[in-house]
Amino acid sequence: MIPHVSRPLRAAAVAACALLAGCAQLSPDGGFGQVEQASSTRLGQAPAWNRTPQQTQASSEHVRQLLHDPANSTPRLASADDAVQIALINNPDLQADFAGLGVAEADLVQAGRLPNPGFSFKRSHAGDDLKIERSLSLGLMRLLTLPAASRIEQRRFEQVRLSLASRVLSVAAQTRQAYYQAVAAQQGLQYQKQVADAAEAAHALAAQMARLGNISQLDSAREQFFYGQAQTSLQQARRLAAQHKESLARLLGLAPDFSLPAQLPALPRQLEAVDDIEQQALQQRLDVEAARTELEGLQTSLGLTRATRLVNVLDLGALRTTESGKPVENGYEISLEIPLFDWGEARVAKAEAIYLQGAHKLAAAVLDARAQARLAWRERQDAYTLARRYQDEWLPLRQRIADENVLRYNGMLVSVFILLADAREQAATVNAAIEAQRDFWIADASLQLALGGRPTQGKQP
Amino acid sequence: MSTPDKQRRSFLQGAALAVTAGAVSRAGAAALPEAPLQASPATQPPLHPANGRPYQPVVTLNGWSLPWRMNNGVKEFHLVAEPVVREIAPGMKARLWGYNGQSPGPTIEVVEGDRVRIFVTNKLPEATSVHWHGQRLPNGMDGVSGLTQPAIPPGKTYVYEFTARRAGTFMYHPHADEMVQMAMGMMGFWVTHPKDPGFMRVDRDFVFLMNAYDIAPGASVPKVSTMLDFNLWTWNSRAFPGIDPLVVRQNDRVRIRVGNLTMTNHPLHLHGHEFSVTGTDGGWVPPAARWPEVTTDIAVGQMRAIEFDATEEGDWALHCHKAHHTMNAMGHDLPTMIGVDQSKVLDKITRLIPDYMAMGDKGGSMGEMEMPLPENTLPMMTGRGPYGPIEMGGMFSTVKVRKQLARDDYRDPGWYRAPAGTVARPWNGPAPSAARAPDRDDGKPTLEVVKPGMQGGHQGHH
Repeated sequence: MIPHVSRPLRAAAVAACALLAGCAQLSPDGGFGQVEQASSTRLGQAPAWNRTPQQTQASSEHVRQLLHDPANSTPRLASADDAVQIALINNPDLQADFAGLGVAEADLVQAGRLPNPGFSFKRSHAGDDLKIERSLSLGLMRLLTLPAASRIEQRRFEQVRLSLASRVLSVAAQTRQAYYQAVAAQQGLQYQKQVADAAEAAHALAAQMARLGNISQLDSAREQFFYGQAQTSLQQARRLAAQHKESLARLLGLAPDFSLPAQLPALPRQLEAVDDIEQQALQQRLDVEAARTELEGLQTSLGLTRATRLVNVLDLGALRTTESGKPVENGYEISLEIPLFDWGEARVAKAEAIYLQGAHKLAAAVLDARAQARLAWRERQDAYTLARRYQDEWLPLRQRIADENVLRYNGMLVSVFILLADAREQAATVNAAIEAQRDFWIADASLQLALGGRPTQGKQP
Repeated sequence: MSTPDKQRRSFLQGAALAVTAGAVSRAGAAALPEAPLQASPATQPPLHPANGRPYQPVVTLNGWSLPWRMNNGVKEFHLVAEPVVREIAPGMKARLWGYNGQSPGPTIEVVEGDRVRIFVTNKLPEATSVHWHGQRLPNGMDGVSGLTQPAIPPGKTYVYEFTARRAGTFMYHPHADEMVQMAMGMMGFWVTHPKDPGFMRVDRDFVFLMNAYDIAPGASVPKVSTMLDFNLWTWNSRAFPGIDPLVVRQNDRVRIRVGNLTMTNHPLHLHGHEFSVTGTDGGWVPPAARWPEVTTDIAVGQMRAIEFDATEEGDWALHCHKAHHTMNAMGHDLPTMIGVDQSKVLDKITRLIPDYMAMGDKGGSMGEMEMPLPENTLPMMTGRGPYGPIEMGGMFSTVKVRKQLARDDYRDPGWYRAPAGTVARPWNGPAPSAARAPDRDDGKPTLEVVKPGMQGGHQGHH
């Protein structure tokens, strides 16, 4: 595997090139094709990497089309899917990450290239003594380590691709959640406006009645107080709606000058039963795939270390270091040493231990994926049950209370102020119902993320 | 439903058909007299005595008299205390407690000196007793549970026996958990006729009890813990327009006997005639002591008999003069909307409450408005007359005086047709100039009273 040091350089270079053929070329898509495919199969939506002015132009046009509302001149975001699509082609952070893929590919290609021969010329004086050194050099170390470095870079590149695909899924989920937050906040705002209107009407009516002498100043002041409260709630709702819309717009890479649907999407009629949620997670999740890839790499490295126990080709520990909260650190180190005292037994043992570590990490990733999938599924079920209950039971019940109150008002059994007070209470239920509906859709997006993509519906149990 | 037709039919069928047997088991029937049941809330024809001493029977408004059997010279009645459903007025039924299928229970009519035996079967879920209100009787027959007798347990039958010593107007009601049992409608009328049928003889003798319920709109069982704030003011557990008219022949001598088992007094007012109070709780009022009245106040727990000659033809109102007692269920905590212009806020309110309709800005009159109400709830003011809405509910009825009615004919003759030129009419001529008070110029400063909310120089001053 490693060319013998004593062989002629030319032969070594040829052998190395033959060994590395095919993996040391820059690809036309910079490795993006695989990211795109992973996203398409998992999300049903493809990202775009805007590398050229033409690509940027095409993406802008796509965004424009997605925001086009035939009925209206102002741009309109029609659905969560559209929001995700826009983020995938327009989110600047994501574009920056895509560029990182180029960097990784360049590294990979670089690692597979033989170093250029170098020529050096040195001229020095030492008193009257003039020294001129001329040399022709070829990086021996690079040549020696080239095959190993290429493999490592290849795996590193693979990991960058995986983490990038994972980033795409995460941005999609974030966008989806931000979309539901923004629509729900806006829906809540619309309702709060109605409530404030009613409170204003009650206040105006009470003020008039107090002026005419029909009610006391106390009752009038109470209505004024409720009016003030409603105004405050309206202000809070307005602020919340603006905040959520800004968050969404930021994910879309746009200014928040587009309109949103008036209402959240309706709840599904029923949740399809899926009986292989955990299996789906294991198949689709990219962190599981990354752990698996890493383990395969470690296996190869272990073999390498056994074969080249005298050459410290790589420090396995630095291959992939993950720490929570920090970006994944990838890298390798190659050194050549003279085997006078150490014959490499310890190094092999270390490689074996690191391989074992990788195996456990994969097991942990699998366990984690299963648990997350189960939990996200459970939470979506619960959110659905709650949202349905609001929609099927509590909202109709609130409506019935309102209807009965109107009947009582008709019979001069209660006053208009009771009706308005009930309307205020009704508003609280409506807002809670909107939030429950929103939480279902957010849980739905979380489930997609936990499964590493959309759940595919299984058979009914 | 008591449509006029149906009322008339059940009326013609008479007590014999409307009354059905069967409340008590056959085994017991050998010893107990029949406990007849009444299913109709319509006024039943007078029950002329088939045996025993003769008397001129009474007519119970929206009620009936209890048949009896003679047993060795003793008049035997059988009351069954039980849950009943009473139609308060068409469109509203109340779940009450009563006797023999109705609340109030049937009127018991006996003659002064009669030996009376009354079997009382308790089909209520709790113990009861019957107190014979106003009677002179042996102490142990007075029906005060705990004091004069053990209460009648559920499922048991007790017997009361005494001689009706004094002619007059009486009532019966429980004296066991009476707050609950009377709030649930346990009561009935009792008339002891004079031994001499010619004594103070009248042509028509009407009886009813005043009672009150607190039934939440949309509910049907009274709130038994209500002390004073009742929302249904009724006669014999009926509210106008569910109260039948008191039909009389012109120039009939009419007696109306009323007992008050509500928690407040009721000034009973008759239109078009003066009457005399001829009977009180204690008996008959000697002619020299009678007061001419058009309104007589009937206090809590009292009975009054009033009499008059129905000389004036027409439909004459008879009602409690407490204005809120001639209304059905209404809110007691409503702001007055008179003069309040809702037009500016209407739009905002209807956005949140689509079915909202501005009301009351011109007064309380519901007029011709017909709006959906909670189920089993009577409109606040209701009842239509020949000229439009009467806007009355609760303790209101009419005395319908007509020529040429048969002696025992109590059928509703319909609305009075006033002779031409005898009805108030619109004035279409020029408006007469209003009379003015003479100018006051006595040098004294004029006192100005400024009320809050009055328009003028103090606008905006609160």
